[in-house]
Amino acid sequence: MEKIIEVRGINKQYVKRKTKEVITAVNDVSFDVHRGEVLGLLGPNGAGKTSTIKMICGLLQADAGSIHINGLDIKKKRLKALKHISAVLEGNRNLYWRLTVRENLEYFAGNRGLSRKDVKEQVEKLLKQFRLKEKENELVNGLSRGMQQKLAIAVALLANTEVILLDEPTLGLDVEISYELREILKMIVKEEKRTIIISSHDMPVVQELCDRTIIINKGTVVVDEKVENLLKLFETRAYSIKLGGTLSVAQEQQLLVKFPLCTYEGSSHETVVNINLEKSEDIYDLFDIFKAEGTVVESIDRTTIDFEQVFMEIVKGEKAYAMA
Amino acid sequence: MQWLNLLNANFRKEYIEMKRYLPNTLALLLTFYIIFLAAFFGIMFVGDPASFEANVQYSIVSVAFWSLTLMTMNFIGFSVVTEAMRGTLEQLYMSPMGVWKIMLTRIVGQFSLQLVMMVILLFAAMLTSGQWLSLNPMTTIPILTLTMISIVGVSFMIAGLAIIVKQIQAFLQIFQFVLMALVFIPLSVAPFLAFAPFVKGVDMVRMVMMENLTLSAIPLADFGFLLINSMIYFILGLFVFHRCEKLAMKKGLLGQY
Ligand SMILES: Nc1ncnc2c1ncn2[C@@H]1O[C@H](COP(=O)(O)OP(=O)(O)OP(=O)(O)O)[C@@H](O)[C@H]1O
Ligand SMILES: [Mg+2]
Repeated sequence: MEKIIEVRGINKQYVKRKTKEVITAVNDVSFDVHRGEVLGLLGPNGAGKTSTIKMICGLLQADAGSIHINGLDIKKKRLKALKHISAVLEGNRNLYWRLTVRENLEYFAGNRGLSRKDVKEQVEKLLKQFRLKEKENELVNGLSRGMQQKLAIAVALLANTEVILLDEPTLGLDVEISYELREILKMIVKEEKRTIIISSHDMPVVQELCDRTIIINKGTVVVDEKVENLLKLFETRAYSIKLGGTLSVAQEQQLLVKFPLCTYEGSSHETVVNINLEKSEDIYDLFDIFKAEGTVVESIDRTTIDFEQVFMEIVKGEKAYAMA
Repeated sequence: MQWLNLLNANFRKEYIEMKRYLPNTLALLLTFYIIFLAAFFGIMFVGDPASFEANVQYSIVSVAFWSLTLMTMNFIGFSVVTEAMRGTLEQLYMSPMGVWKIMLTRIVGQFSLQLVMMVILLFAAMLTSGQWLSLNPMTTIPILTLTMISIVGVSFMIAGLAIIVKQIQAFLQIFQFVLMALVFIPLSVAPFLAFAPFVKGVDMVRMVMMENLTLSAIPLADFGFLLINSMIYFILGLFVFHRCEKLAMKKGLLGQY
């Protein structure tokens, strides 16, 4: 597949206005995005997702490194490169609140040099697709947060760019609308061959929509892997172990020291230990703990794992993540 | 074609917002109407005290010019600050046309709307007071348009500053008085002011209106001077705006914070 976005060694530091404190938001980040790919950008708060997205849009200039969109250097050929990108930025202010739904669609298309006639058909299609048709003449001001977000995405789609960047598209939406948005996005991914980068905290969004995910933490990339591989990889190391009897206090302590993220629950005659092993060899250490006091291992099962757990393991566990 | 669509979209937006904020627009109109009336009834005595009537006329032209200039000059800066506050500025910066073009089309739209309002106001004021000026539109409008180019330049400079510092309200208030001085002081008193933006144009418009001149009666040298003056300020304005944009992108100042 052909590369459409090339990010090479970008860095970004901010200087806080009041304290003059220097914050490193992005530190030596590199990745490629291929044409037609849907990439998930994950990371905890303050990881540098928004900064990375803004640098790709040219809204923020990287201190070092380079970004190319379709071969165009965003620093030198910003306006040319922008012909290939549209974005829904973080927060809910991507629209004019004092214009109606339709006026917003038409205005932003106009700002890209398109006439109302040029986009007429597509506006109709999008209004239907996003179920905004009956609201088309209402002011954005009065719409719910979910509707506003839908409209913002519709505006970005109307630009007809190859690349669309969505920064936290489901943030602050209730379960229902976030589900609806996910379904719409799924349809778009399926129907149109666009390249999409989605930053999100919403794991189902990433798990269902993305081909590949990049996890950044504290400004650096910690994982860059296909979603299915990532799940598989973790699946093979996630175990549920059933023990006959209870664990002694000493065993519990040893477990917590060696495997701080493992969980266990049980009754007087049975205990289930859930554990994600970092390395396959760790299973021997685990068994040593049980063997030491003659605890009987009744069964070992691989457990299914969802994306949320994978993310937690990588980021919150702060364990060194080494690709196998 | 792209330019035309851009102009169309932004003109429409300005018009829709003006209509939707009818109370604001009406209040503004009323304010200027009162200012005009005050001028007409000779409350202002500025400039050459040769004759009372000439004085009143001088004031009226100056006030009309001052208000038009003021609104145009603040417009881009105000637009940028409002967009930054509402959080839509970054979305504007996603346009492959460039924000300067968007702002230029907006200011053209805004200026046209204001010009229409101003002419209506002038007529209303003349009607109420019974004092008639020769508006001489065939001559004044070309001069006015040329002059406005320099004002747009200054407007871009202010907007550049606004992107960086955001709080420019206080600055603009002070600037308003500097502007008033520039518009009201006759060139004959301070000839060097011809090098400042728009002062030369104001002087020419005033002369045309008061002495009822035609376009051909104005020396070509005056036009040449006006054109060069306007171009210099316009290009300088765009340059400053561009540098400020670059700085804002380096420091991450385009978003809300
Ligand atoms: N304009 C700015 N000025 C100063 N510091 C900033 C600015 N923008 C971001 N930061 C800081 O840079 C770091 C990274 O921020 P960024 O918004 O890129 O993270 P994020 O991954 O998008 O986080 P979130 O999940 O909260 O949206 C944070 O510590 C943030 O406080
Ligand atoms: Mg963010």
